Amino acid sequence: MIWKRYIPIAIVGFFGSLTLFGWFIENEGIKAFIDDDATQWYDIIASFAIFLGALNLLKLQFLKVLKRQSGWEYSVVAILSFFIVFVIGFFMRGAFVVDIPNTDIQSTYFTQGAAEEAVNHLKDSGITASITPAQWGAHIQTEGGLFKWMFDNIFTPLSATMFALLAFYVASASYRAFRARNFEATLLLLAGIIIMIGRVPIGSLISSWMIMYLLVLVIGILINTYFRSRQLVFGWVALGLIGVTVLGSFMGWPIDQPAVFYLPALQEWIYTVPNLAGARAIMIGIGLGVIVTSLRYIFGLEKSYIGDQ
Amino acid sequence: MSFSTILGAWIAAFLTLGIFSYLYKDNPFYKIAEHVFVGVSAAYWAATFYWTQIYPNLFGRLFAVDSPFASMYVIDKGHEYNGLYFFPLLLGIMMLLSVFKQINWMARWGIAYTVGIAAGLKAFGYLSSNVISQIKSTAVELFSGELSFFAMSGDSIFNNIVIFIGTISALMYFYFSREQSGAYGRFTRLGVYFLMISFGASFGFAVMGRISLLIGRFNDLILFSNPSYNYGTFWMLGLIIVVLGYWSFQNPERTEG
Amino acid sequence: MRFLEDIIVKFGSVDRRVIFVLIGLAVLVPLLNPVDLAIRPTPSSQRVYDAVDSIPDNSNVLISFDYGPSTRPEIHPMTLGIMRHLLSQDRGHKIYITCLWPDGLYMAKDALKIINEEYDLVEHEDYVLLGFRPGNEAIVKGLASDLRKVFTVDAAQTPISEIPMMEGINNLNDFQFMFTGSAGYPGTFEWVQYGADPTGVPLSSGTTSIQVNEVMPYVQSGQLKGILAGMPGAAEYEKLIDTPGIAIQGMAAQSYGHVVIVLFIILGNLAYFITERRERKY
Repeated sequence: MIWKRYIPIAIVGFFGSLTLFGWFIENEGIKAFIDDDATQWYDIIASFAIFLGALNLLKLQFLKVLKRQSGWEYSVVAILSFFIVFVIGFFMRGAFVVDIPNTDIQSTYFTQGAAEEAVNHLKDSGITASITPAQWGAHIQTEGGLFKWMFDNIFTPLSATMFALLAFYVASASYRAFRARNFEATLLLLAGIIIMIGRVPIGSLISSWMIMYLLVLVIGILINTYFRSRQLVFGWVALGLIGVTVLGSFMGWPIDQPAVFYLPALQEWIYTVPNLAGARAIMIGIGLGVIVTSLRYIFGLEKSYIGDQ
Repeated sequence: MSFSTILGAWIAAFLTLGIFSYLYKDNPFYKIAEHVFVGVSAAYWAATFYWTQIYPNLFGRLFAVDSPFASMYVIDKGHEYNGLYFFPLLLGIMMLLSVFKQINWMARWGIAYTVGIAAGLKAFGYLSSNVISQIKSTAVELFSGELSFFAMSGDSIFNNIVIFIGTISALMYFYFSREQSGAYGRFTRLGVYFLMISFGASFGFAVMGRISLLIGRFNDLILFSNPSYNYGTFWMLGLIIVVLGYWSFQNPERTEG
Repeated sequence: MRFLEDIIVKFGSVDRRVIFVLIGLAVLVPLLNPVDLAIRPTPSSQRVYDAVDSIPDNSNVLISFDYGPSTRPEIHPMTLGIMRHLLSQDRGHKIYITCLWPDGLYMAKDALKIINEEYDLVEHEDYVLLGFRPGNEAIVKGLASDLRKVFTVDAAQTPISEIPMMEGINNLNDFQFMFTGSAGYPGTFEWVQYGADPTGVPLSSGTTSIQVNEVMPYVQSGQLKGILAGMPGAAEYEKLIDTPGIAIQGMAAQSYGHVVIVLFIILGNLAYFITERRERKY
């Protein structure tokens, strides 16, 4: 009980309050510990957590293979990929730099053997070159090295495409799910559409006058739907069209005036004014939530991390 | 272009198209790409976290030049020996041991440590930057006389009033301890409208982001379809289409809507 | 009219793969046949430009690469743009690069490769790639207090003490400007909360489109000096520094993609209203 419950709760309480109150304490020793060492420990433990994650993943995939669960063949693929990259990262180094002294010429080889072959090749043509293996730690980021090659050609396309795939689902959802069912939904959609069009170059090609004409027609349709009076609709549309046209010829049809109807300007207003108000309320709301949750952790009221409800 | 570059491009094209093939339907190409991703990421993360943190900043301290273990092993990363760092090492090892079911509680100490530090850091960070600063900048001088009444962007009396009312009403809406009816309800209703505009903007931005990422992928595929890459994209596309066609022909019942 | 309505309603039940093909084409075709569209910088991008422009000569600038390949198309042109802007006028700025994301290290490598081809730079004198350290906000807090405890070696394992441009750099207060190219957590939030706010060093940010709205309030309150919003923001910056790059090239595709999605929304809603009305009638 002590090991499993009380010590973890005490650790959270002790280090949590130390970190929190460390912001206000003027004691060099405590401050240095919190600002530097405590955060370093956090970073180190977080790194171990990554290893734990990898171990758990392996365990899961191995079990799947051993129990011959459906799709176990793919688990073999996952396990193999893990071990290949693990070997490259921890044992192979995969970056051997062949350098011709006194020149800028250097190239990197995946294996010691390939590097030696290149050096011998150069020797045949009378050039002496040296091999420097990338230092452990630097090998993962050496240009031309195997780990960087793996990152560029395997990790990059996979992670980038996973995210890009969502573009298609956003399109499909915008077609099927976003309905202007009520006033709130209409506001949401309108704000979204104005931001979408107003923020890209094509939005600045749409004249404010076109938007005004469009508005006259849309309001006409609304009048038709709600009042069902032909005279009213006709009167509004006729007056509206004439009004916009007269105003336009009077002002000389500038594409971005009046600014309220010019999408890039309107977009900017929505983005920086009403949207900001909503975003700020969300930011303050989340902020208060985070503060309260953090304090609950520190004071031992919230114990979900040890499995308590 | 070197062989490894071209081979890399072909692999990249294959994996990219393999994931895109999910748009047609769930299929072996997608599953292979997905599982490669899972395995590769786990090992990739382990390697980078080890070499960038555990190796230089933990072992670099425990096996520093002036450490008592210097006669056995030295990792010189410019640190001084600091015995206190056995504590995170211990928590880290306990964390790893927790893969064994009988002692899986051991991870709790390490987790507790990270939870404690994160809570302490976040409580202050959010209080000062997200709550106090934001309240401060909402409470601006509205009628100082220096501002114009209205501007499409930037500060103006009208805009500041809208931001002020919008923020307050939307915040009120989050306050659930009072029934939202009557005048109070109408005010929080207004708050909902501001939140809706904000969600709408977020939706617009979300679309924007997704399209940009798609552009990135297409750019790469276009690049790999160049003659200098031996038309990698086209070969891979052909391969995937042929195999998928055959596979669909073999499994006609497994279509999804 | 009725015929038109029928078409719209019928289109409403189309297979989603048709939609996938349409959106794919809307993005792909403009990439294959580039169209030039005029870019208008928004005020928040302009603020980033002004902030970078007003850094005093011979400043130390910290750029944090807090993103990975998944959001590279949006943020990579921003970090490139900022570096080009810093280096273009030969004002003696030094660039220090950190990464809160492991992938950021590789993004920084790629960006530096491009920058090194364009400018005559010396590593460790004009720029240093400090690299990645795991720890999220704890890293930013650590940098604000003592950078030399977080980084004792740079990414290539060169000891910090042997790097000439690291002389006198002990924590975030020794920088005159900071920029984070941020794709989420950790990123802009953490830099504002534990980096810029406590130290007062001016900070600008370029974020993914998705994150823009969350951090937007920081821009108005001045905690962030402007913001670059997604790929269009990157394109605006390329326009401002007059160096067209991949972001501007992508803007036609971005525009058409948006137009197609807006059309989908409108068509979807038309179909919805027509069916609603018909159901009410009968």
